[in-house]
Amino acid sequence: MSLELVRVDDRLIHGQVVVGWGQVLNPDLFVVVDDEVAQNEWEQEIYRMGVLATQEVEFTSVSDAAESVERWANSSCRTIVLVSDIDSLTRLCEAAPTIRRVNLGGVHHERDRRLHLPYLFLDDREVDQLLALAERGLEISAQDLPTAARVNLEDLL
Amino acid sequence: MKPRLASAAVRLLVLQGSMNHERLQGIGAAVAIEPLIRDLDGGQNGQRYRAALARSAGFFNTNPYLAGVAIGAVARAEHSGAPLRQVETLRSAIKGPLGSLGDRLIWTGVLPVCASIGLVCATLVHPLVAVAAYLLAFNAVNVAVRWWGLRAGWRSGIAVAAMLSQSVLRRAVKFVGPLAVLSIGVALPVAAEMLTANFDTSVRVGTAGVALATAATSWFLMPSVGAARVGILALGSVLVLGWIW
Repeated sequence: MSLELVRVDDRLIHGQVVVGWGQVLNPDLFVVVDDEVAQNEWEQEIYRMGVLATQEVEFTSVSDAAESVERWANSSCRTIVLVSDIDSLTRLCEAAPTIRRVNLGGVHHERDRRLHLPYLFLDDREVDQLLALAERGLEISAQDLPTAARVNLEDLL
Repeated sequence: MKPRLASAAVRLLVLQGSMNHERLQGIGAAVAIEPLIRDLDGGQNGQRYRAALARSAGFFNTNPYLAGVAIGAVARAEHSGAPLRQVETLRSAIKGPLGSLGDRLIWTGVLPVCASIGLVCATLVHPLVAVAAYLLAFNAVNVAVRWWGLRAGWRSGIAVAAMLSQSVLRRAVKFVGPLAVLSIGVALPVAAEMLTANFDTSVRVGTAGVALATAATSWFLMPSVGAARVGILALGSVLVLGWIW
C-alpha cells in the first residue's frame, strides 16, 4: 500500500511530482532510480533541493532498486518511485514483480521519438517494451497530473 | 567584463514565447542566456559561444519565475570552464528541483496570497483598487524573484545547490504555503458574503451543497474527466438546479 506511485519522468524531481502528486499522495520518500544520478553526489545535491523539508530522497541504481521494491512496498513510509526512462522501467519491472501499476508522466522529445501525448514521446523500441510489460500484466497508463485525465496504454498508442 | 545580467533578465520575460511540445522552454532559455555567453572565448563567431548556445536551446522546462537561477548558473558554468558533461548535467538536473521550488513559492504561495488581497479589496474597497492591488503585489514579487534568481545563479555556477539550500528562497517556501491557506481562509468568506448578499437561504444552501458534493467527488472524477470539466459540471449543476427550483 505504501508504494504510492511508480512514475516514468525524465525530469525526475520537479513541480508536477512534488506539488501536483505530492499534495494528493502525501509522500514521505522519493526514490530516484537512475544509474547515472546514483553515482553522482553533486547531481544528487541538486535534486534534493526540490523536495519539502519533511521529505526524504533516496538515489539508487536500477538493479539496487529492484531489490528494494519489496522493502518500500511493505514499509509504513509513503513512497513515490521516479524512473528516468522506459529502458530503466523495463529492467526494474522485470526484476521486481511487486510493481503492478506504472504511471507515464514525462518522456520528452528526442530523435526518433514520436508524439503520443504532449508530454509523451516514444520511439518504436520503447513502444514494444511497454507492450511487452503490459502483456506481463502490468497496468500502464499516462497521466501528467492527478487532476488531468488518465489515458490507458492501449488508447495512447 | 561585466555580465549582461539586465539584458538576460529582460529576455527571461519571454522565456515561454516559443513554448512547444518538443523543447518546451528550450528556445526561450537560449534567447535569455545569449547575452551572458556572448563574451566566451572567441566571441560570437567562436566555437565556444556557438556550442553553448546550441546546448541551451535543447529541451528545458522549469518554473518561469525561477528560470533565472538555472540560466545564471549555466552561464557561469560555461565561463568557469567546467567539464562539458557537468554543464549539461547541471542544466538538465537543476530545472526540475527549481520547478518544484518555484511552483510551491508562486502557484501555491504568492499567487493565492495576492488573489486573496485582490478579493478582499474588491469586496471592501473598490473593484479597480482590487485590480491595481493584485497586479502591484504579484508583480513586485515577480520582478524581485526573477532578478534575485538570475544574480544568485550567476554568483554560484555549479555550486548552485549549496547556494539554494542556504538561500532565503528555501525559507520563504516554508512559510508562504501556510500564509496562502490563511489568506484564502480570510478572503473566501468575505467575498462569498458579498456575492450572496441578495440570495435567499435556499440558494445559499443549494450552492454550498453542490460545492461540497463537487469537493467530495472530485478525487474520483478528476482522473477520468479532468479538473476543468469537473468545475464546469459543478457550475452547470448549480444553474440547472436553480432553474428547476
